[in-house]
Amino acid sequence: MSDNNTTSNGTDDLVAYRETMREWLAANLPRREASSALRAEGDISPERLAADRAMQRKVYDAGYIGILIPKEYGGRGLTPAHQQIWSEESRGYAVPMPGGIASGVTMGIVAPTLLTHGGEEQKRDWIPKILRGEELWVQLLSEPGAGSDLAGVLTRATRDGDTWVITGTKVWSSGAMAADFGICLARTDWDLPKHRGLTWFKVPLNHERVEVRPIKEINGSAEFCEEFLDELVVGDDMRIGDLNDGWTVANTMLAFERGGGGGDHGAPSAPKGRRRLAPDLVELAQQRGITGEGRIRQLIAQAHIDDYMQEQLTRRVMTAKRKKLTNPTAASYIKLARGVLEPLRVEAATEIAGTRGIAWHAGDEAGHTAATNYLNGRIYSIAGGSNQIQRNIISERLLGLPREPGFDTDKSFREVLDAAKNWGVKGQPKT
Amino acid sequence: MDLELTDDQRLFHETTVRFIESELPMTAVRALHDDPVGYDPTWLGRAAELGWFAMMVPEEDGGGSISGAGLLDAAIVAEELGRHMQPGPFLPMNVVANALAEYGSPEQRSEILPRIVGGELVAAWAALDAAGNWDEGRGVSATPVAEGYSLSGIRGTVQDAQSAGVILVASHVGRESAQFLVPTSSPGVTIAPLTTLDLSRRFADVILDDVVVPASAVVGDIGGGNALDRELEVALVLMCAETIGVIDWMFNTTVEYSKDRTAFGRPIGSFQSLKHIMADLGMYVEMAKAGAVAAAHAVQSRQEDAAELASMAAAFIGDVAIMVSQESLQIHGGIGYTWEHDLHLYMRRARSNSLMYGEPGWHRERVCAIHGL
Repeated sequence: MSDNNTTSNGTDDLVAYRETMREWLAANLPRREASSALRAEGDISPERLAADRAMQRKVYDAGYIGILIPKEYGGRGLTPAHQQIWSEESRGYAVPMPGGIASGVTMGIVAPTLLTHGGEEQKRDWIPKILRGEELWVQLLSEPGAGSDLAGVLTRATRDGDTWVITGTKVWSSGAMAADFGICLARTDWDLPKHRGLTWFKVPLNHERVEVRPIKEINGSAEFCEEFLDELVVGDDMRIGDLNDGWTVANTMLAFERGGGGGDHGAPSAPKGRRRLAPDLVELAQQRGITGEGRIRQLIAQAHIDDYMQEQLTRRVMTAKRKKLTNPTAASYIKLARGVLEPLRVEAATEIAGTRGIAWHAGDEAGHTAATNYLNGRIYSIAGGSNQIQRNIISERLLGLPREPGFDTDKSFREVLDAAKNWGVKGQPKT
Repeated sequence: MDLELTDDQRLFHETTVRFIESELPMTAVRALHDDPVGYDPTWLGRAAELGWFAMMVPEEDGGGSISGAGLLDAAIVAEELGRHMQPGPFLPMNVVANALAEYGSPEQRSEILPRIVGGELVAAWAALDAAGNWDEGRGVSATPVAEGYSLSGIRGTVQDAQSAGVILVASHVGRESAQFLVPTSSPGVTIAPLTTLDLSRRFADVILDDVVVPASAVVGDIGGGNALDRELEVALVLMCAETIGVIDWMFNTTVEYSKDRTAFGRPIGSFQSLKHIMADLGMYVEMAKAGAVAAAHAVQSRQEDAAELASMAAAFIGDVAIMVSQESLQIHGGIGYTWEHDLHLYMRRARSNSLMYGEPGWHRERVCAIHGL
């Protein structure tokens, strides 16, 4: 790593940067095996977590984590071109992801949100720890009663001098078992309309007032968690963004989540090199000997084309954002595309797999993967803002279509809760 | 549709739109619906002055483009032709011009090309068989005779054959594919105009009955199937770009209509049942644009995967065009079913384009074949 990289964007520097990186990667990181599974499986042991954290530190010390992040916050302060080189070169390697999805959330969603809305001291203190792998964060966002209607959260933060007392239940927080902190959305004013009485806090997860419980999912694994915060006390220095301005922060965060920051967004695709025809589907079809059947060929080509068009869409949205031709909510196009197309792709895979996807011999990866993907096929159409929420965002904020009339935007949140409880049978609130 | 145009390309785009809007606004387009040729031949000359038929041709053959990447510049025009529902032989003339520039003999390049570039000679591209299938020329047999070759057979659904002076005919000499430049004035050529779904587009079947052409009419080599594949790639890029203009118009018009039209006491665009449909369409339109741009760049620079990307774009965009057409009419409701409203004109072209050079399913099959599946 020479300092030239930070002072010049010359093509020669980029070539040299890539060359150095390529050598470092080959010498220091193991290769990654391509997988067509939609979701990694298995619990993360403390030993594995510690080893991955150490590995992240190593990558950080080499200069390849925080490439875009300003130097004063522990990053390298380089350009998107440098970051792009890392994305390309590191693609075939097992880049450390301590805590699995928690790492993706920390690096792709929490860190950029903190950079946008965190205070100067918070950024100087927290971001370097994140980059070094010392702090893993998850989002404490949804609640049992607030998913798509995220602004309806009931977790309360009550002021007590210089501190806040937080009580509530959070759910669907991916990777919380392995994480150190949560970025938590709480209600700080019940007399304001529901989008306006919200504030964010950094909360410790390894704390006696916080209980983290894994949730067993339909595929048998337990990546999601539920958290119970029982009068957890945090200082005002743990507040992120302005008091009662949490919805602004939430929108920033969700745009990062939808725009490819979540670690593995983007269509499942072949690793670098020449594009291959939907390899997972072709393999399933070959194993059944049905690659000559017209309908199967159509399904394979369709999946291949949809994968490719999602990649191109992502590129297009990124370009539009870079050139300021659109607003950040355009990331919802990427999210919706995956939410709409992945269930179709998974159904195609299940059909092509045939009975192997319902009954397979021990150790038969293809059958197992097809079955598991069937169960996981709706992850991206629900998680991170459902397809329906994306469609609202796109139609209202990108296409300029009017909102549906709402019953929850103009009055205080306290009144909204009362009115919902007393909703009449004929679909009109009782007065 | 391309977010990364150069300044020159941007200017060219503006000029193109101004030209179209002053020459052939929608009222003028509608006035030409019953015209057997479909456009005013003098208009072609004015379009040629803007370089519409020069872009695929190198400067030494009298051509030239704005950016040096002629197909990308042509795609800019094609998109606006779609958005403004323009008639005329832009696509076939550029496909043939490109074929002659890349594969033509010195004589063809010096004698024929400049007349196409100048808009004096209309060139049509006769690639499909009588049923509209991609037969790689098998439907026309070219037999060596003393004067050159004698061609017999049918080419189906040939765009603007009615006004063409010359037609690039895909055929076979024995088992080898071959293409011939056939003057429409040759004895034995019959142009049989077809009634068209797209009221601004002219198609005809071209019937060849012992049409004798000199050996110098061969374009490229006998057995040179690559030229035909290359023509298809170029045609698909231009067709996809045009379709983008068509669906962009339909989509934007539908969104705006849903904001203006009120029912049940509010704009219909506020109902989730409609706005969710439009959000999906918006997403697909963005993907379609991204795919069209990727294909254009791949074919322009003759990337190894150009044929694949062209067919991927044609399959995807064809499907999106159908979806946008159907849902646009649904959201417009009754008004969209009137002759007076322009929507049906766009629906006609959207469907026409999605079938013209292979339907989406055919292109998907082609993608499998390209990958050796």
